[in-house]
Amino acid sequence: MISLEVLKVGIVSCSGEAVCEGTLSRIACRRVLDDIRPAETVTICLPLFLAGGKEEREFAARYPTITVDGCEKRCAQKSTEKLSGKPARSILIPEILKKHGLEAPTSLRDLSPEEKASAQLVAEEIARAVDEILNGTEG
Amino acid sequence: MSQKAKKVVVLPCSGIGKVYGALARETAYELMDRVRPGVVVTTCLPLLVIEDSEAKQLVTANPVITIDGCPKSCAQKSVEAQGVTPAQSFQAINFYKAHKDLKPDGIAELDENGRRLAAIAADELARVVDDLAAGGVR
Amino acid sequence: MGEFLETTYDKFVFKVRTGYFYSQDDFWADVDGDSALIGVSDFLQKAKGDVAFLETAEVGTEVKQGGEIGKIETIKATFGILSPVSGKVIEVNPEMESNSYLINEDCYGAGWIYKIQLADFDNDRANLLAADKYLDLMQGKIAEEMKNK
Repeated sequence: MISLEVLKVGIVSCSGEAVCEGTLSRIACRRVLDDIRPAETVTICLPLFLAGGKEEREFAARYPTITVDGCEKRCAQKSTEKLSGKPARSILIPEILKKHGLEAPTSLRDLSPEEKASAQLVAEEIARAVDEILNGTEG
Repeated sequence: MSQKAKKVVVLPCSGIGKVYGALARETAYELMDRVRPGVVVTTCLPLLVIEDSEAKQLVTANPVITIDGCPKSCAQKSVEAQGVTPAQSFQAINFYKAHKDLKPDGIAELDENGRRLAAIAADELARVVDDLAAGGVR
Repeated sequence: MGEFLETTYDKFVFKVRTGYFYSQDDFWADVDGDSALIGVSDFLQKAKGDVAFLETAEVGTEVKQGGEIGKIETIKATFGILSPVSGKVIEVNPEMESNSYLINEDCYGAGWIYKIQLADFDNDRANLLAADKYLDLMQGKIAEEMKNK
């Protein structure tokens, strides 16, 4: 098989539609994928990953991944560990919000300006993790 | 609606790679928040896969509608993996096919067309929800 | 040689079915005697996204190589179905009316679009690529596509 691959980081977002932090996770991850680090990141669709998606699983097995979870149940992290190996980084949204003294979001959709600012902050944390992984400086 | 009406679980595929995943999710939210609040509930799809007991209980005790964003049908398959057959399964792309004038855009957040399309789709699914809540065929 | 040649970019695996002929426009022809099934390549269906609407030509329509015989509309784009061979449409895949997603699900198999009665395949063939040559062309297109993403 011929490959055109370059090193990238897979982003596995908790897709949690039942928790507000899940929405924040999705929005933060899309910002990284679309705007902040588009050339360095690839989305791994968690439901497809779980349902047996070959491309998602093979990518996650070959490349470093960052999981982003919205709650302590850590579906993204646990699923990645089970299906492809230990993530290079596991981010928990409530921990980031707490670290920055931010309130937990209360919207499942239509985030408030404050919640959007929180999403941006989470996105920047993810981007930092991407850089550290690609630079080989992850802690 | 009867006091004894069941809850109806609506599970969107929750994908974050395509607009149809966002459309599926928004349709579920429309059903839950506006069209049939108190009847329609949802849970996080990945919870089913990590064997979360509450999520499993929810889909085994109530009728389930899945809305998928692509033909890989992750939502439907994830429910079926629990030994539960969804009462109804939909593909979000068909909502667009039925309303070609509302071409949706956006993945994390839908644009105005996408939101309107989701609202219409949710209105159209209301009857399915009502039938299931009233104990219709599962 | 296996059934498919493959190349990977990011998480995406792009396949090229061996034994088929490919046009520069990313359509394939599976020639069998004096007729051929035609369809879109894996690269094209991945690049354009899920098929929402399909407009097909009628049986009996004549087409020159590279000519348009119908349109495909996805969420990203509307594009013509450009026949890789000259001839006459003798069958439209009956599944296409209700299951056009087969173009995405199984582009080299159940997602075929037309059966064409060949008019001049000896001449057409000179403009078509074998799977290995199309793989090279496709890799260039993938790199370009990803650069513009």
